[in-house]
Amino acid sequence: MTLKREEIVQTLEKILSPEQVVTELSVLKESSIDRFRRFEGYHGVYLQPFPAAVVYVNNSQEVSEVLKFANENGINIVPRTGQSATEGGLETAAENSIVLDGSRMNKIVKIDPYNMQATVQCGVPLQKLDDLLREQGFTTGHSPQSKPLAQLGGLVATRSIGQLSTLYGGIEDMVVGLEAVFPNGQISKIKNVPRRAAGPDIRHIVIGNEGALCFITEVTVKIFKFFPENNVYLGYTLENMKTGFEILREVMVNGYRPSVARLYDPEDAAYHFSHFSEGKCVLIFIAEGAKPLADATAGAIREIVDESGACTPVEPKLIQRWFENLNWDPSDIAEEKKEIIETKNICNTTEISSNWDRIHDIYEVCMERIRNEIPDLTMLGAHSSHSYLNGTNIYFVYFYNVVNCGAEEEITKYHLPIKKIVVEETIKAGGSMCHHHGVGKHRTHWIKDEYGSSYYMLKTLKDAFDPNGIMNKGTIFPIED
Amino acid sequence: MKVLTCFKVVPDLTLLTDEDWQVVNNQVDVGFVKNDWNPFDESALEMTLKLSELSESLSGSMELTAVSVGNKKIDSFLKTLLALKFQHAVRIEAEQDLRFNPHQIAAWLAGYVKKSHQDVVVMGVQSGVGDNAQTPLLLAEKLGWPSITQVIGIKPEKNGCLRVTSQMDDGVLEQVIKPPVVLSVGNAPNSFLRVPTLKDKLNYGKKSVEVIIPTDIIVDNTTEAEIHAPKLIKLSAIENQRDSVKIQDGTPSDKATILFNRYLKQRLKKL
Repeated sequence: MTLKREEIVQTLEKILSPEQVVTELSVLKESSIDRFRRFEGYHGVYLQPFPAAVVYVNNSQEVSEVLKFANENGINIVPRTGQSATEGGLETAAENSIVLDGSRMNKIVKIDPYNMQATVQCGVPLQKLDDLLREQGFTTGHSPQSKPLAQLGGLVATRSIGQLSTLYGGIEDMVVGLEAVFPNGQISKIKNVPRRAAGPDIRHIVIGNEGALCFITEVTVKIFKFFPENNVYLGYTLENMKTGFEILREVMVNGYRPSVARLYDPEDAAYHFSHFSEGKCVLIFIAEGAKPLADATAGAIREIVDESGACTPVEPKLIQRWFENLNWDPSDIAEEKKEIIETKNICNTTEISSNWDRIHDIYEVCMERIRNEIPDLTMLGAHSSHSYLNGTNIYFVYFYNVVNCGAEEEITKYHLPIKKIVVEETIKAGGSMCHHHGVGKHRTHWIKDEYGSSYYMLKTLKDAFDPNGIMNKGTIFPIED
Repeated sequence: MKVLTCFKVVPDLTLLTDEDWQVVNNQVDVGFVKNDWNPFDESALEMTLKLSELSESLSGSMELTAVSVGNKKIDSFLKTLLALKFQHAVRIEAEQDLRFNPHQIAAWLAGYVKKSHQDVVVMGVQSGVGDNAQTPLLLAEKLGWPSITQVIGIKPEKNGCLRVTSQMDDGVLEQVIKPPVVLSVGNAPNSFLRVPTLKDKLNYGKKSVEVIIPTDIIVDNTTEAEIHAPKLIKLSAIENQRDSVKIQDGTPSDKATILFNRYLKQRLKKL
């Protein structure tokens, strides 16, 4: 039996308390979307079904009780913490959803410097944790652009990655253990050990589940010693992306681990580095860690770059100042909103990954197709920002003027057609359609192509852990009925 | 009608750290941070484009020129303005530090205005790098033109006139004026410049930036004293920290009550 909206709210108020259940219309509207539909939101257009309520939980038991209620009554749950999602993962795709907000679960449970790990509740802001750690000489090593906004639960749920990933890894390399709550109310805790060979690594059922399998309530992450005084900043300009990819590859296959290894194409470089790029590509490295390690890494990278004979070094302070101002905070978001409303010019991105042998081809074909097929573009660029032994990512960045259409058509006229080009060309070349933003709700059309025969394994997880399909409907898994 | 919009490209000073604020050779080195439009000038540029659009249906098209003073590093900004359909993009060549020399800039601009026979000059009231807030008024004085300050809107009127809206201390003033005039743009409601498409950059951005050597501009009313600008000797930080108290315990309602009783009640009584 389907419960009415009022019945859902009344029951939630009984399970929790009225103060924890928010039904104010403006909150429901804003909670029906995330940054993927921000153009619509900025213009007061809300096309997704409004949730029945936004529910603020205080502990795992409350999460369990809400999930059991939703599971028994077929109510869609949209888990969230810091609300910095960009791919529609927080859109309420079903009528009368419950937005389950863990941002009040914000206690730092334990910082354990001897075992080099920190345990926090899901709603702890990454910035808060990392600032606290840095005061004590440590760091999470995790630094996504959303660091001032994002919270640990969401970062793990979306398989986040940060700017320092080449040294510290993605969030999947940092998570030691965690606690998650499943739709049937089961609270499961994965213990914190350095490694084990006791069957499959079940952390990976939870990491990156995007709220489609469970709700993450607690996370334990590794911590690292922090030596900012040893950072070595290296920057270069060069003529083309192909050479840049080759240099990145040389650094990685020779085993060097700079924390930052980034390659910008001329358009993207002009956007970030107009004061020195002069129409060229820009290559950036940061070496960090203990001094001997940082110096050796920087020295080796200098040699590799010099051997290429293709790069011109730039003043390191240019790179340092850029890096220190890379992240977004709420004031940047407010400024962006004002600018978008005034100019109707908006930026969106799509990020993919591929092995070294196809990455440049993907870059070339996507750039050409987007340039030729999409109207009203004002900027089209790309950069590689996360490199690995066997390949790297590309982050396509595009701005366009939204003209001759309503706010509600922005996505279908511009953003989705661009995403389609990038995703289809990447999958065709054997790469992955999502590098670090998650699938969300707008890349689900291609999820079976992304996984191929292994989709069986992914779908079986959904069927096993969320048999009633109440967890974040339309995220990762397409709505097929 | 020939409209000249003057703009300055400025470093984003918010990117500087405390340690960067050092005076070396009478300058603060800002070469390692990104440049952007001076915000007041950005408003002026957008205002000019809107004025031009509105005038097309009323009194025919305007001839738009954008001008700035500096070296070739600002050419990318001028190219952007060409792509936004400014007919002319002009750079007055200068390598020296002019942050505190509005007299020199006004003298060159006056020379260019006379040489190119402009009817209207639109520019931002000041820029964050010098904060002199003098260039528009000095320019008007050198030209012998009237000037309207704190402009927040410009619309075309019949017979070659403009309807100019400006902020006053006690309200908003709207007046219809006959050029020539220098309009100094203040806190306008529009603060962002539109963005040209890649196609327009390709089609219109090919035009060259016109570079003018200062000596080619007739400067007839600038004294030596004016040209010798003040020098930056030292900097001192402005203490803008404020005490803060975090109300920690209780429900939001408890916290609001504490905030009101302890911190707001007395202040409100005084009001």
